[in-house]
Amino acid sequence: MTSIKITILELGNWFLQPLWHSRWIILPVITSICVMAMLIGAVIAAPREIIEGDVQRLMYIHVPSAIISYLAFGITAVASAILLINGKLYWDAIARASAGIGLLLTFFALSTGAIWGKPIWGIYWTWDARLTTTLVLFLIYSSYLLVRNLGNANDTRAARYAAIVGLIGYLDIPLIHFSVDWWRTLHPQRIVFDIRPSLPTEMLIVLGIAFLAVLSLVLWLILLSATTEYLHQQVGKLSGDLDQMES
Amino acid sequence: MRNIFIVLKKDLQIAWRDKTGWLSSFIFSVILIFIYAFAFDLAKTNSELLLPGILWTTFLFSGIIVCNQSFQQESATGTLDAMIASPISQTSIFFGKFFCNLISLSIVQFMIVVLGTIMFQVNLLKIEVILVIFLGTIGFVSLATLLSAFEYRERFRAVLLPVIELPILIPLLLAGVQASSSALEISNTSSPWLIFLAIFSLWGFLGSILLFPLVNEK
Amino acid sequence: MDNALEFMFAGFAVFWAGLFVYLLILQQRIRSLNEQILLLRERLKGITLNDNSD
Repeated sequence: MTSIKITILELGNWFLQPLWHSRWIILPVITSICVMAMLIGAVIAAPREIIEGDVQRLMYIHVPSAIISYLAFGITAVASAILLINGKLYWDAIARASAGIGLLLTFFALSTGAIWGKPIWGIYWTWDARLTTTLVLFLIYSSYLLVRNLGNANDTRAARYAAIVGLIGYLDIPLIHFSVDWWRTLHPQRIVFDIRPSLPTEMLIVLGIAFLAVLSLVLWLILLSATTEYLHQQVGKLSGDLDQMES
Repeated sequence: MRNIFIVLKKDLQIAWRDKTGWLSSFIFSVILIFIYAFAFDLAKTNSELLLPGILWTTFLFSGIIVCNQSFQQESATGTLDAMIASPISQTSIFFGKFFCNLISLSIVQFMIVVLGTIMFQVNLLKIEVILVIFLGTIGFVSLATLLSAFEYRERFRAVLLPVIELPILIPLLLAGVQASSSALEISNTSSPWLIFLAIFSLWGFLGSILLFPLVNEK
Repeated sequence: MDNALEFMFAGFAVFWAGLFVYLLILQQRIRSLNEQILLLRERLKGITLNDNSD
């Protein structure tokens, strides 16, 4: 059992360490290239959709943001679980950073969805399962950050409380999605964002680039933010040590 | 097992001596029903359709107050630290609190149900309805007990608890309302809402048992 | 659809504005970090001076 644990830890380190060290140079470079490619692709290179027109280009922000937000909150959930198990505070730094980015992405998904929906379907919002789940996620992880910010960077108690909220919230997602979906079938509404005939290849390529761009952007920002939180923890600790030395 | 009874007896005694806790929760739910009656004009329109929603929102809001009581009083008097340091296991404490909250909330719910039957001329005391309410309450009370165990600063507690608990409880609300509608034969839904309610309650119950010891570590 | 172009710009503007706000928040955290480190340095200087004068 312990040998399995050690192997998993070693594999994790082998993968995660280079990622952590790459945050200063490699990741920013990749991110800028990908984001520029995404912009050129989304605004210029991608073909104009016949029915919906240029607003459809918002898909290249909306879809990757929505999907990668689930990834970001997943990172928060996993980091929270690890924090609850071994108590090491740098997992709290990663969880917080990830939750902040996840909130940003959900904000993008919801607002671009509303802006896209208005000219095409005439409505800003619909109670469809995916949108509603995204909004509930936004609420859950806002409360996560609220709880976490009750204490400072080194407050293990606030970190633990927040970790529990972060973990339960993520495990709740399938339940929220199913219940809202079933609820919606009781009141059939206009089906929006659902009818998506298979996209032409050029659009798929640009969508793929957009995914890469948002993914690298998110990873980079998470690492930067986590480093800042970690540094705050270290500074807090040093301050405490100095207090002891002075007295 | 004996430890659970110790915690349970202590909490029930405190709740009985100081009746403001669950009494204020019941009065709050009555006020809520009045507010709904005025806001949604229930004297005129067909109030049956809105009844499950009224019931479940009242349960949720008063339930949050009830589950908050025991831990708030403990952290105020400082007995929470004593309880953590005692040899009683965290899980026993959880079960003790859980059963106390369950009993308190069930009493309040029963009174609400009786009141609802009188005010809305709908028989809410059917066995199917009570089953739905009981199933949902198990999941609700376990999650609320877990999340109330956090030691917040007093001024944030009242606002923060609903903000944290309510989004997580959305599937419970949906399932409870729909299952109650089916049980009251207000609507005919084919989806297995009762099963979903049971699954959610089981999920909430198991999760709370697992995570409760991690809330207040020594 | 001419008005659709306005909506498209609005959408992309939301993206950039959101990123910008996030970076501003991150910058605030780094600034406060900087100030705390400067404070620590002062206190450390104070302690070493005291030690030297003892």
